Amino acid sequence: MNTQDHISKEYNDELEQLRAKVLNMGGLVEDSFNDATKALLKGKVQLAREASKEDYKINALEVSIDEDCSNMIALRQPAASDLRNIFAVVKIVTDLERMGDESEKIAKFTAELSTNSHSMKFYNSLKSLVQNTREMLSAALDCYARLDAEKALEVLELDNEVDAEFINVNRILTTYLLEDIKNIEDTIKVMWCARSIERVGDHAKNICEYVVYIVKGNDIRHVIDEESRQGREK
Amino acid sequence: MWLEDIESNMNNTKIVQASLKKRYAKERRFKAYGIFSISLSLLFLSFLLFDITHKAMPAFTQTYLKLDIDFSYKNLKLKEGSRYSEKELFSASYRQLTSKSLYEIFPEVTNRKDKKVLRNFVSSGAQYNLRDLVIENPSLIGTKKSIWVLADDDIDSFAKGLIDRNLPESERRIKDNQLVWIDTLEADNRIEKRLNIGFLTQGDSREPEQAGIWGAIKGSFFTMLITLILSFPIGVAAAVYLEEFAPKNNWFVDLIEVNINNLAAVPSVVFGILGLAVYINLFGLPRSAPLVGGLVLFLMTLPTIIIATRAAIKSVPPSIREAALGVGASKMQMISHHVLPLAMPGILTGSIIGMAQALGESAPLLMIGMVAFVADIPQGFMDPSTVLPVQIFIWSDSPERAFIALTSAAIVVLLIFLFLMNLLAIILRKKFETRW
Amino acid sequence: MRKGTDVELLQNLGDTVGKPLIDGDSRMSCSKVDVFYNNNNQAIFDISVDLGKNEILAMIGPSGCGKSTLLRCLNRMNDTIEGCKVEGEITLDGIDVYSKNIDPVLLRSNVGMVFQKPNPFPKSIYDNVAYGPRLHGLARNGAELDDLVEESLIKSGLWKETKDRLNKPGTGLSGGQQQRLCIARTIAVKPEVILMDEPTSALDPIATATIEELMYELKSSYTIAVVTHSMQQAARISDRTAYFHLGRLVEVNETNKVFTNPEHELTENYITGRFG
Repeated sequence: MNTQDHISKEYNDELEQLRAKVLNMGGLVEDSFNDATKALLKGKVQLAREASKEDYKINALEVSIDEDCSNMIALRQPAASDLRNIFAVVKIVTDLERMGDESEKIAKFTAELSTNSHSMKFYNSLKSLVQNTREMLSAALDCYARLDAEKALEVLELDNEVDAEFINVNRILTTYLLEDIKNIEDTIKVMWCARSIERVGDHAKNICEYVVYIVKGNDIRHVIDEESRQGREK
Repeated sequence: MWLEDIESNMNNTKIVQASLKKRYAKERRFKAYGIFSISLSLLFLSFLLFDITHKAMPAFTQTYLKLDIDFSYKNLKLKEGSRYSEKELFSASYRQLTSKSLYEIFPEVTNRKDKKVLRNFVSSGAQYNLRDLVIENPSLIGTKKSIWVLADDDIDSFAKGLIDRNLPESERRIKDNQLVWIDTLEADNRIEKRLNIGFLTQGDSREPEQAGIWGAIKGSFFTMLITLILSFPIGVAAAVYLEEFAPKNNWFVDLIEVNINNLAAVPSVVFGILGLAVYINLFGLPRSAPLVGGLVLFLMTLPTIIIATRAAIKSVPPSIREAALGVGASKMQMISHHVLPLAMPGILTGSIIGMAQALGESAPLLMIGMVAFVADIPQGFMDPSTVLPVQIFIWSDSPERAFIALTSAAIVVLLIFLFLMNLLAIILRKKFETRW
Repeated sequence: MRKGTDVELLQNLGDTVGKPLIDGDSRMSCSKVDVFYNNNNQAIFDISVDLGKNEILAMIGPSGCGKSTLLRCLNRMNDTIEGCKVEGEITLDGIDVYSKNIDPVLLRSNVGMVFQKPNPFPKSIYDNVAYGPRLHGLARNGAELDDLVEESLIKSGLWKETKDRLNKPGTGLSGGQQQRLCIARTIAVKPEVILMDEPTSALDPIATATIEELMYELKSSYTIAVVTHSMQQAARISDRTAYFHLGRLVEVNETNKVFTNPEHELTENYITGRFG
């Protein structure tokens, strides 16, 4: 990524503001995900209810950032790294918004779950999944903040672990389903939550891909998947 | 913060406002200077024009005397007979015809001295007019006829009111007895003023009443023709070469350029000396010939035409040259198809102004002998002749009073020619001018 | 991507990055071209680039970067500038255009040029277009010349507007029409290559758009090299873009590559407006 300033200082400032807004949005999403998962893990209904109310801020930021981006495309005609940056921001913002939605979902399910206090026991199996996803999200946002493509490529790999955790959690929950037919409803809700957490991991992976795109200019989306698929076939 | 801004702004406004008055005053003053200088020059110009035309007016009319001429054999000193050859008629005596007629009008004049004065009332050229008349119409011989003859320049001047009759006799060219005779002639309706056609059709003469500028006009025409034929093609060719082909940043070309510019500023008399040394002494061309005059003026006009042509060529936009080259025109095609046609108005204007300058030039022509008295009208490039400005110079130097009017009249003619040439320059420029 | 400050980058300017040479047939080809003005003032350093058939090559770069100089080398317009010396090889269909037995007049009938300022001759529209064919004797008679003029005007998209006033002066047209007239004048000589030196810099956006559209249409029959100061224009019209910097060809690449992900940082700096 080019570090030299533009001739137009205003353009520079606009790009800087855009970056700050995206990071701000990232922070909100991170908070919302952390709160929702914390409520899920610890069964805090109140926290879950509060967390589910925060989503409107994220949505508002998405709209605002999208508008900024379309304005800059129309008025500044960005090219090369600037173009990639703005284009990636549009995508990142979509992913962040989805993460916000997933967090809201988790919070809502948690609020419903917690009324049945006895189902607390299988939350522990989620702990590791949540932990990895949190780390991944925070690392992805960090990569964007620093535009660090090398780190982003490392963070990408974390998604495999998250996916593995999710499969693990699914297996445990399936066992619960078989064992405890009375709480089938709760178990399914927890499964939904686990899925949402896994989706957040996927979105974080996307952000890392966009960071690589901004910095290196090449699109690595689906390439890795394709490579691994080909590798498997061999 | 913003209050301070506004305050400083208001301060600025005040400062600017204070200086505005001064600035406008300066502008008005400058305008006034300009108007003053223009009106001053207009004043001088109109004074000059008025003075010259005023002085020239008398030269456009001439005084004629009506005399009863007796074409008797005796007076003509011809043998009586019925037929005369042209040669006989040519060599007959016409000198006494006018004198005798005058003596008849004034029989009281018997004194030899007075008779001579009376005789000179008529221009010395009158006898030749009578001769022409007789040759043309031999049947006049033996008859008596009243004929208008040209009066002497002094009578002419008096008739035009240029001599004041109230002056004491000693200070006036027309003496008292002459006054009486003139009054008598006038009372008899024998004095008349007519349009001076001879001024435009005759050559130079020692007698002002017979002097004309046709010789000078023809001399100028031949001289200008030579100048134009030589300087226009050579000047344009030189300018095209210097502007389009000559290597840039070459010391030799630079030297030529500097010299051409200097040549334009060389006093014209120097060209005359050059012409004398080269054309007349070295090449042995005849003195006073329009050919030599044209060659000298060609040298003088050449730098002017080169400079004007170069400026005109330079002003052709480079985009036109590029366009021509871009579609594959050669350099010569580019110049002849585009550059020269576009530069033509400028070239023509410059050339005509150069020619006008040459037309008004006298100093170099003095050096090559065009100042000689030439009564004959030149018929070709080698005939001795003079040109308009030199004619003016000659006349202004002549002692007879009537030459003052002739000088001014010649100046008027010269000015008219110059005006016409400048008009032509403007018309040509308008006609050839292409907008791009 | 090469990284570093501008000064460092300039000092280490090596070979042109990207794809200056094309694999298939090229119409014109420059190899190791150096151009000097008076007293060994070098304007262009070691430039090698190909012009493919039926492609538009855009040349961009800051003022004084040598793009116009290179363009003018391609049809030897630089010959008219005194003290201009061209080294290296420029070929048209494999023939060296600077070899002694190639006449620049002949070359210019094969490599036409359109200039920055619309410069129709102060003659009628017809005479403007007919000038080149008349010079080279391309039409045997008046009818053929009429056809050639009509064909050129149709190709340049000016026929409809001017067919009723072919005898009116070409300078009476609007700026965009004048530029199209200049293009018609150029293609009337039936060149293989058309060079355009900032052809729209003196035109309004609508006229610019018509010229750009015309260039797109001409691409099917001609090879076009265009120097432009407008990066957007280069992006809109060209197939490949060449970026020049201080007499050196920094990068040549597919236009969409240059404008989304240039290889060289100087190119990146220039097209993102960071040039300093």
